[in-house]
Amino acid sequence: MGQTIAEKILSRHNLAGTPVKAGDFLAARIDGAMCHYQFMDILRLGTEVGLPHGIPRIWDPERFYLLVDHHQPALAQAYADENVLIRKEAERLGVKYFHDAEPGIAHQMMPDYGYVRPGELVVGNDSHTIAYGALNAGSTGMTRADMLHVLTFGEAWFQVPQSAKVVLKGRQPNYPIAKDIILHLAGQYGDEFAQGMSIEFTGPLVPEMPIDSRMCLATHGVEVAAKFAFFEFDGKTREYLRTRTDKPYEPVAADADAVYAKTIELDVDTMPFAIAKPHNFGNWSPVDEVAGIKVDQALIGSCSNGRFEDIEIAARMLKGRKVAKGVRFVISPSSQQVYLDCMKAGLIQQLIESGAHVVTPGCGVCQPKVAYVSAGEVCITATTRNFKGRKGSLDAQLYLGGPLTVTAAAVAGRIVNPKEVFGEI
Amino acid sequence: MKFDLNRVIRGRVWTFPDSVDTDAMNPYYKYTTMEDLKAHTMEAFRPEFPKEVKPGDIIVAGRNFGCGSHRPATVLREVGVAAILCESASRLFLRNTIALPMPIYVVPGINEVVKDGETLEIDYAAGRATNVKTGKSIAIPKFPPMIENIYESGGLPQLVKDRYLAETAQR
Repeated sequence: MGQTIAEKILSRHNLAGTPVKAGDFLAARIDGAMCHYQFMDILRLGTEVGLPHGIPRIWDPERFYLLVDHHQPALAQAYADENVLIRKEAERLGVKYFHDAEPGIAHQMMPDYGYVRPGELVVGNDSHTIAYGALNAGSTGMTRADMLHVLTFGEAWFQVPQSAKVVLKGRQPNYPIAKDIILHLAGQYGDEFAQGMSIEFTGPLVPEMPIDSRMCLATHGVEVAAKFAFFEFDGKTREYLRTRTDKPYEPVAADADAVYAKTIELDVDTMPFAIAKPHNFGNWSPVDEVAGIKVDQALIGSCSNGRFEDIEIAARMLKGRKVAKGVRFVISPSSQQVYLDCMKAGLIQQLIESGAHVVTPGCGVCQPKVAYVSAGEVCITATTRNFKGRKGSLDAQLYLGGPLTVTAAAVAGRIVNPKEVFGEI
Repeated sequence: MKFDLNRVIRGRVWTFPDSVDTDAMNPYYKYTTMEDLKAHTMEAFRPEFPKEVKPGDIIVAGRNFGCGSHRPATVLREVGVAAILCESASRLFLRNTIALPMPIYVVPGINEVVKDGETLEIDYAAGRATNVKTGKSIAIPKFPPMIENIYESGGLPQLVKDRYLAETAQR
């Protein structure tokens, strides 16, 4: 019987050396471990049980990446103090790949720096670690306790997931649609349609889909409860990696007779622009059904939508236009590299001329850290989540949308079908 | 400290709906101390919960319990929750709760067995959860040995310590 991508990757990493299939439990060898700004919380778990130094060692310095991301420069005294502790521990442990003086989001910086390669098994102490499936890596979020185990032994327990095949049909328009796709899927099939599963995104649309869009979809695998979210390796992946890593890698594809727990098809040509209404990712609506709702704040950023293509579409649409009076349109690139690319392309200048705010790369716009909203306010956001309170007040209304839909709302001052505002698309 | 999965748990049930997120359990970005987190946990869904929950109480939730971030449910343990049963659980939340360790059982149909405020008895060895008032019961799943070992060790950090000390002592 054929194997899915997840079965192949986990078989390849099974410490017992035997092939595994969906449902099996195994101890797996880890290729890459990412830790972010909450590193000390992992260490404290060790300290609490009397493990020497909290984290006694890093099993393999070539495979550990410590990115003190989320909130740089330090947003509060507590972060500054914690960062000092992290630096001290990084030195003690001899951390080789250490980024502590650079704003950004780990899930963009990991690919930016070439720390993730196809076919690898990569884990991190953040739910959106699943993002690297865009590059054909088996990547997923782990708990802090699991990371303590990984950092010490280079191993983690897994249950081999069942797989869900998502077949994407239709054409890539001249604007990003990844967010609309995943909101649509969550709306049609539920916000846990892939509970514990491995998603394989495939179909005729995928070869046309830029890496940035693939990263958006893979990142959002966790919003539909998946363990992994894979794209196959292709020419776009090879080109993306060419300038970023010189280490060898071995891509993984599913066998033709692999078994899938479910197969879902979506034709993007007939898909309306999507919104998730308050306060759940699966609370889907076509944009026309919520059109007219006045917005106070619009956001673009995070590990789902802070990439070049997200910022490019905002800048392109704002050319010759202005953000509506009274609307706070806040944009946060996902890394310094992305920020620089946007700067060189003239996008940042356009955004500012049109009245948008551009804030430092990081996770703040996707949490109640940067750009709070008040009770009764409405925020439309191309970020990861719209849980109640995610942007501050429990009594604010949070809508999710793609970067084009968010930009249209920022220009109109209300939720609107982008085609009504931007006749050129 | 070892954890005995086979110890029978009997407690008052708090029900929660589908898709309760870890931000609601653990609103860490608003409250930085455990005392503050304990005073506000789950209030986005049930404002009375942090005020009225008692040690030994049991959470019975809908599907996709613990969706969202990788943050653990340490605060639920700290307010005294003895076990969680749900229609389905987010995989990271499931891992986190096993690692603590706190009993967590994915039991489709549990909300047909017990209502809010009733008393539930959980007997892992017998593989049943029973509504003490109505006598209605439902099967609960057994963990594979690899997971039982995490509970028996007293949680994943303790397991790491035991293994690390054993490995380094051999040298």
